[in-house]
Amino acid sequence: MSRIEQFQYDNRIVRAFGVAAFVFGLVGMLVGLILAIQLIFPAMNLSQYGIPYTTFGRLRPLHTNAVIFAFVGNGIFMGVYYSLQRLLKARMFSDTLSWIHFWGWQVIILAAAVSLPMGITTSSEYAELAWPIDLLITLIWVVFGINMFGTIIKRRENHLYVAIWFYIATWITVAVLHIVRSFELPYSMFGSYPLFSGVQDALVQWWYGHNAVAFFLTTPYLGMMYYFLPKAANRPVYSYKLSIIHFWALIFIYIWAGPHHLLYSSMPDWVQSLGTVFSIMLIAPSWGGMLNGLLTLRGAWDRVRQDPVLKFMVVAVTAYGMATFEGPMLSIKSVNAISHFTDWTIAHVHVGALGWNGFLTFGVLYWLWPRMYRTQLFSIKLANMHFWLGTLGIIFYAIPLYYAGWAQSLMWKEFTPEGILAWPNFLETVNQIIPMYAMRIIGGTLFFVGTILGVYNLVKTAAQGSFLSNEAAEAPAREGRIAKVAGEYWHKWIEQRPIQMLLLSAVLISIGGIAQIIPMVFIDNQVPKISTVKPYTPLELAGRDIYIREGCVGCHSQMVRPFRSETERYGEYSKSGEYIYDRPFLWGSKRTGPDLMREGTGNQNAKSDRWHYDHMIDPRTMSPGSIMPQYPHLADDELDLSLLPAKISALRTLGTPYAHGYEARAIAEAQAQARTVAGRLTEQGVKDTNMENKEIVALIAYLQRLGTDIHVNQNNQK
Amino acid sequence: MKFAKYIFTFLLLGLAATMWGQAAEPAAAAASEDQFSQIMVYILAIGGALLFIVAMIYVIKVNQFLYKRVLDLEAAKSGAKLPAEALAALAAQDSFWTTLRKKYWEDPVPLDKEEDILFHHDFDGIRELDNRLPPWWVNMFIITIIWAVGYMYYYHWGGDGPSSLEEYTTEMEQAKKEQAIALAGAANAVDESNATALTDGAALGEGELIYKNSCAVCHGPSGEGTVGPNMTDEYWIHGGGIKNVFKTIKYGVPDKGMVAWQKTLSPSDILKVGSYILTLQGTNPPNPKAPQGSIWKEEAAAASPDTTAIPPK
Repeated sequence: MSRIEQFQYDNRIVRAFGVAAFVFGLVGMLVGLILAIQLIFPAMNLSQYGIPYTTFGRLRPLHTNAVIFAFVGNGIFMGVYYSLQRLLKARMFSDTLSWIHFWGWQVIILAAAVSLPMGITTSSEYAELAWPIDLLITLIWVVFGINMFGTIIKRRENHLYVAIWFYIATWITVAVLHIVRSFELPYSMFGSYPLFSGVQDALVQWWYGHNAVAFFLTTPYLGMMYYFLPKAANRPVYSYKLSIIHFWALIFIYIWAGPHHLLYSSMPDWVQSLGTVFSIMLIAPSWGGMLNGLLTLRGAWDRVRQDPVLKFMVVAVTAYGMATFEGPMLSIKSVNAISHFTDWTIAHVHVGALGWNGFLTFGVLYWLWPRMYRTQLFSIKLANMHFWLGTLGIIFYAIPLYYAGWAQSLMWKEFTPEGILAWPNFLETVNQIIPMYAMRIIGGTLFFVGTILGVYNLVKTAAQGSFLSNEAAEAPAREGRIAKVAGEYWHKWIEQRPIQMLLLSAVLISIGGIAQIIPMVFIDNQVPKISTVKPYTPLELAGRDIYIREGCVGCHSQMVRPFRSETERYGEYSKSGEYIYDRPFLWGSKRTGPDLMREGTGNQNAKSDRWHYDHMIDPRTMSPGSIMPQYPHLADDELDLSLLPAKISALRTLGTPYAHGYEARAIAEAQAQARTVAGRLTEQGVKDTNMENKEIVALIAYLQRLGTDIHVNQNNQK
Repeated sequence: MKFAKYIFTFLLLGLAATMWGQAAEPAAAAASEDQFSQIMVYILAIGGALLFIVAMIYVIKVNQFLYKRVLDLEAAKSGAKLPAEALAALAAQDSFWTTLRKKYWEDPVPLDKEEDILFHHDFDGIRELDNRLPPWWVNMFIITIIWAVGYMYYYHWGGDGPSSLEEYTTEMEQAKKEQAIALAGAANAVDESNATALTDGAALGEGELIYKNSCAVCHGPSGEGTVGPNMTDEYWIHGGGIKNVFKTIKYGVPDKGMVAWQKTLSPSDILKVGSYILTLQGTNPPNPKAPQGSIWKEEAAAASPDTTAIPPK
């Protein structure tokens, strides 16, 4: 028997991440609530007062980033730092690295909270942050990795418990995802263009976006479930074998499923089909986690009735099971044809975020706080109230949005017998679901109020206890690997070898991405070229960057799917070759407003420049009842063309065929085109002066270009 | 007693069949509609099938129960008793259904026998059981993998599953056929070559309603013109008269921002709103937009046909 060693667990770092999780949880939820209110009261955007920072387009990424990276992110680190130390019988590798990790992460969040409302965004969902912040994220993630693996190396436990397999897979996959998604070429202090364009950018984006859900919102939380649920229930884990199979299957299959976000888009069919079939095969591995959680509670169900911690965990695991069944269903093409671009998706992700991530975080917090503060939970009654408010909140949030998604989609697709769209005005389909948006606010408010009660309860718990900064523990020193025992599971081999486990995970999670992305990037005929599609003019490029800055992509897609209901409503369906100069791609994932792919001059829905001008200043003059924010600042703010040479140069480096030396002419050409647009506006009766120097002309120039290149041949023929 | 068993079985089967029929009926009626109905058909069909299977299992269970009761009663009547060993062997042996359930559905070790499959090692107090993988879970996994291979075969590796674009072509052809039938009515047979202005009040009233909903934002509530041109004066950019107005509304002027309304308004609606617009001539509303285009005289129509609004080829 080896010598017993004394050591201490670091609780302060756990508390710090825990406090950050619930503070940012409140912030993220509050921003969500504001967004929900903006959708029925556009005046809440405040942009009509010339304040550009608070529009829906700019706040939406703030909400998603706050919830994913600030709330859940800090939640992950709280859970990992607590459980890792105890499962390995070792203090964290380095307290200094722990605190660099903590403060670094909070700086990233702060940078996001400042830069996103300022309109500094790449517009790629969940990867919106500017390139310097991307670098910082990489650095901090490496710090986290060193700290985690350092702890693993100096562990006193021979075998790694299942929770740690999940932590390892999380770390390596998030690193790969983040780095590949951040392949971008800076053109200024905060601006950059992605390496890939159009269809390839879309594929990389949803490989990233989908697996951010998988490896940031799912695998680390499964790891936490494997620690905190058996602890709280005081029951053995149901099946060791099930943990092995579902872990490896989950990380291997998950990575392939990204293209289910791109069904019926211009993505080649074979990629879409891979997205579908791997999503279906994902049901069982996902449910493996749910089963192992719920079946661990066998024999403890009577306690679930009394213990708020277990209540939260049971609903969390159930929500996980529902969301991971619904996801594959949404990946079936015929279901996706209805659900995509609607509020159904929003309902789906909130079952996951509020139910699975939210409730598991609350459960863990309620379990941790009394232990770290060496006291009882301040009020079980309050915790139960939180539980019921939260549960009702999820129901009141999700059900109206499921209804809204179905209703709106069916209205989009309905035809009269004469073959005319039954609801040709997009706005009618929006106004139809406004009551559902109102009900969603009630749901969100309930959940938010519940969270406030939770915070109060935890603060009071802390106040009545005394914090244990360093928790004494003891364990025998580790004396190298244990030799194989006859009849033991083969998997015990790798459980003693963290490096091999890391490498095997890295290989397994790379296969799916490589199989999809490499052919798309290197095989030319995957994206058939269209000879008339040309790069944007400098002014259009400037306008496009304004479109990106304002977050227009949050509500407007640029992807006409090959359905009769879409080609009749918007025009010709989108071709992959039309997007080859789109850096970043702007297909969008939600249609709160209509698709804009065919908005440009010459298309069936094209509007005059004046229409766009008036509509930007106040959408309700041209579309009474519209819920779009006003953008008067675009007509007031000076158009800054100074970055154009750098942008042109960056894009040429990435492959856009701008002639050499075009940088020198770019500004003059942009100004000339701006004068033309301004001239047309004056001609059409806009009374403002000096319009050629305002941002709005660049945006109009871009909008009038959208989806027009494929018509060039037709126009030439006539 | 055996006779009673069969009657009971038939009754239950009949009940299940009725339920199945009820589930399938609305499904069949909806089959010809849209994607939504198709999905409902699947859901109802699968639901119906599941219901049927559950009902079957229930029937068989009831049969077993009844049969056992009969045996018991007969045994009691005859007063015969089985030897103790035989009874114990019977109790230890799983019934056919239990075997089936354990093999294909679920087979957890009972809570009181858990110690047998508990791993000795613990992680910070957490221990693990060595329960079998739930068979239904394994089966589900296998089925999804087989489904995935089948899906890839059907759409890519050899089957004749349609591509996204082939689906689109089929959908458009189907719609064209249905549309042709629906448009056969006289009211919709109108186009820009044969349009004549309507004059009856009801039709013009409907035209006014369409105007308020779709045209007023750009042409002004009284046709005085704002974003779009004034329609109350005698100047026309793309030609006046119902035929030209009909054509402009139908195909739009995409280069100048006039929407092509043919995807939104039926031919009879275009005629109604076009006729209403012509009644605005000479109404002199306040704040008129300056005249654009040239003066339109009906007799000049033949001499200078408008060419600005061109139907897409």
